[in-house]
Amino acid sequence: MTVPALEADALGKRFGRRAWALRDCSFRLPAGRVCAVVGPNGAGKSTLLALAAGLLAPTEGTVRVLGAHPATARPRVGFVSQDKPLYPQLTVAETLRMGADLNPGHWDADTAHRAVAGGDLDPGRRIRALSGGQRTRVALALALGKRPELLLLDEPMADLDPLARHELMGLLMGEAAAHGTTVVMSSHVVAELEDSCDHLLLVGGGQVRLSGAIDDLLAAHTRVTAPAGADLAPHEVVESRTTGRQLSAVIRPSGPLPDDWRAHTPSLEELVLSYLRNPAAPAPAPAPEILEAAV
Amino acid sequence: MTAALTTPAAPAAARPAGVPRQWRWLARLHRPSLIGGGALVLLAAAALVWLGGPLTDASAAAWKAYNACGFTPRCSYDQSAILLYKDVYNYVTFAVLAVPFLVAAWAGGALVGRETESGTARLAWTQGVSPARWLASRLVLPAVLTVAGTGLLAALHRWAWATGRDRIDTTKSWYDAATFHANGIVPVGLALAGLAAGALAGLVLRRATAALAAAAVAVGVLWGAVHAALPYLWPSVTRVTTLDEGPLGSGLHVGEGVLTAGGGRAAAPCLTSQMQSCRDTLADMGATAFYRDLHPASHYWPLQLVATGILLAVAGLLTYAAFRVLRRTTGTARG
Repeated sequence: MTVPALEADALGKRFGRRAWALRDCSFRLPAGRVCAVVGPNGAGKSTLLALAAGLLAPTEGTVRVLGAHPATARPRVGFVSQDKPLYPQLTVAETLRMGADLNPGHWDADTAHRAVAGGDLDPGRRIRALSGGQRTRVALALALGKRPELLLLDEPMADLDPLARHELMGLLMGEAAAHGTTVVMSSHVVAELEDSCDHLLLVGGGQVRLSGAIDDLLAAHTRVTAPAGADLAPHEVVESRTTGRQLSAVIRPSGPLPDDWRAHTPSLEELVLSYLRNPAAPAPAPAPEILEAAV
Repeated sequence: MTAALTTPAAPAAARPAGVPRQWRWLARLHRPSLIGGGALVLLAAAALVWLGGPLTDASAAAWKAYNACGFTPRCSYDQSAILLYKDVYNYVTFAVLAVPFLVAAWAGGALVGRETESGTARLAWTQGVSPARWLASRLVLPAVLTVAGTGLLAALHRWAWATGRDRIDTTKSWYDAATFHANGIVPVGLALAGLAAGALAGLVLRRATAALAAAAVAVGVLWGAVHAALPYLWPSVTRVTTLDEGPLGSGLHVGEGVLTAGGGRAAAPCLTSQMQSCRDTLADMGATAFYRDLHPASHYWPLQLVATGILLAVAGLLTYAAFRVLRRTTGTARG
């Protein structure tokens, strides 16, 4: 079994004396996945990514990145934070040259230039003169040029118009597929990630609510419509609602369903929302492939 | 850009352990500050050379003419040369002493505070530069430039002051507070402490303006503390004089008073027994002599060295604290 790209064990982070931003997070992300970190604003997504990037020290628990301490793994990890910090006084070309100088021995100028070229960017323009989307493009180029084994992206597409988002996502996925890069990207817009990700990490209220391959998670859940008053036991209920004479629910079936229930596979968005709307919903047992990875 | 042509090396171990070329980018990012700071230093240096050369000569000539006048009622000397010398002397002394404050404010505001506030520090840390290396680069190069710039100005100040010392009647004494500091190495120690304080403030506060202010205040407090402690940083010399003479001796004063018959020291109620009332008071308290504790001119360098040593120790502690803060926040296992 290969080393997991990201592995958290009872991970927690508290800022000062304030409430916990993240607590008791345990999950395991196999290498080579494209993982969506989904959750509402303030759920702890950014904290989780910063911990993985070795920019923050955990208050409790551990996080292992590519099998190593985050600080040790840092040269092999790319990171783009939510506000896409860049030096405003440098030009686009200078920023890329800086990337080459700061990453000696593992800088891929072609990839970096390709990421920038798609945006019709004048290399001589200063970063401070760029739009939000253009800055995102340069920040991504810096992260991709480093040719990381693990790429951590915090809300990477937030500033992009749909066209640029599609184009950059394509570039990102192409690079990830070509080099076997593990990608972890956060968003509070599920639809943004649905097409490109094969793994889900749902964060809510500072906790990991769901973690696993998206296909497995969807297969493990069923959206049912049943007559009002139907008994949902023994299935595990994530969410149930009664409207008029109808009951609709998202459940994890633990056996065959009655014939008079209409059942179908939920969409990813439905699944995510059902968990977010119901903080008390029980977390499923780890999917089999994750248990396998743990061996 | 040959790296693009090589096949991607998947295992990290296969990567050559090249050292990131940070210096070039540090210089590029702070090019305006480097140019501005360099220009300020050169300007102040030019002013000091002007002061020590032509201005000193003109002022000395004017004093010579003035002293030659004696009591001649109509006698002319170049008064403006004397005044210009005094003005320029005061300005450049102020300029030399302002350098540590400027260094501290720049270190807190621009060097570290702006990067921690805007997040570009994180950008550097997630490139091939570890946080510790990042901080080290931001301390070493500025420290070298600070020592060079401050040292040059202080040396020139000393030279300008020394050339005028015996020729210009109103030259400041060596123990005049501003002259004492500007003539020596205290500004260098103070500037280095300011640099470290700025870096620490930038890391802790993560706000450019707050770090700028905190670092400048820290330099002010440090300087005040060192100045207050200055008389006690080296054993002083005691000069004992008769009751008739009163306390005597010029230099950096530490304290003065009267010696009593019992061998004790007491505060002086008055300063000479030539006055009847004073003589009576002194007799009543059993005073035998006046004393004055002071530092003669020969103590100048010992005092400067001890004061600068303390400042360098503080700078070292602040630097250590900055690395500790960085390590604690980023969870860096090793440098």
